[in-house]
Amino acid sequence: MKLEDFELRGTNLKSSDFKKGKVLTTEWEPNLKYAWDNGVAIGRYLAELGKGRIIARTCYKCNRTMLPPRMFCELCFRPTDEWTFVKDTGVINTFSIAKVNWDASRRGPKEPPLLPAVIEIDGASKGMGIMHMLGEVDPKDLKIGMKVKAVWKTPEDRTGAITDILYFKPAAAKKKTKKKAAPKTRGKR
Amino acid sequence: MAITEKITNTTTPTFWEGAIPVRYVYTFGLAGEKFFRTVKDKGTFLATYCEDCDISFVPPKIYCDRCFNELDSYIDVGTIGYVETFTLSFRNMDGSEKEAPELLAMVRIGDTDGGLIHYLKGFEVDEIGIGMPVKAVFKPKAQRKGSIEDIIGFGPLK
Repeated sequence: MKLEDFELRGTNLKSSDFKKGKVLTTEWEPNLKYAWDNGVAIGRYLAELGKGRIIARTCYKCNRTMLPPRMFCELCFRPTDEWTFVKDTGVINTFSIAKVNWDASRRGPKEPPLLPAVIEIDGASKGMGIMHMLGEVDPKDLKIGMKVKAVWKTPEDRTGAITDILYFKPAAAKKKTKKKAAPKTRGKR
Repeated sequence: MAITEKITNTTTPTFWEGAIPVRYVYTFGLAGEKFFRTVKDKGTFLATYCEDCDISFVPPKIYCDRCFNELDSYIDVGTIGYVETFTLSFRNMDGSEKEAPELLAMVRIGDTDGGLIHYLKGFEVDEIGIGMPVKAVFKPKAQRKGSIEDIIGFGPLK
């Protein structure tokens, strides 16, 4: 017997059927609160972010500096050896121009697109980086390989979270001063 | 190979807190739709019955779960039921304490093999016995939305 020989029954429903109350429904919002142990590596990483620094972890065997840090080298199968501070500058590995929010709702016509990117951090091994947002940049100017620099929250506002970095902005290519740019609060975000 | 670093101070470990926002809208299905429409419009319960197995289902099912017969005739089984089992609950669903404890019971409806889990209203806990007849109390018709909450609970027969 083939599938076509069966009468496949079902009830087709459109979202308007739900809105108009054509079908009875039950709604619920389960409580999915969680507390996740940061562990040694991410615990220190977040604590250092609170101090305005980015820390990585180095494996002496493969000489990789891993970011975000981890206590175990997945290539060498051995514990990693050393904490290594890395810079708060990096290179765009990949990026996206997002006109939807995290919950897939459309961003308003006046809201600028979100610019999530993977940023390879200077000082960490090639390909090692973090996902963050880009800012102070015209989406049209974005390029893979572009140099960027972290814009931090003010020390008082930092909480030991990845959001202690507000976003990454294009780094002025010529200047190699270590001075941190004063964080500019962008009203929208 | 030794672990090179471990947390020894019990106040050091940190954690990340969050809440995953999940919301759902669920339909009752073919039989459930009929059941709750009847609760809403007529204030009574429907059942389906499998003649081969001599089993009746409340809430109704569209298939007999013993023999997979299709069940498409719905029987009004009234609103009187019998306490199969009951409990006194002191806690809300989130674990917080209830202002006043509430009686919950599995009530077998009429002479069917099925039943509903709902509140018992208007009883003291020591008045309840297993097998005791109870009657469903519905919200006023205008307030009913077609849900289990259209039933306030099961109360005394008279």
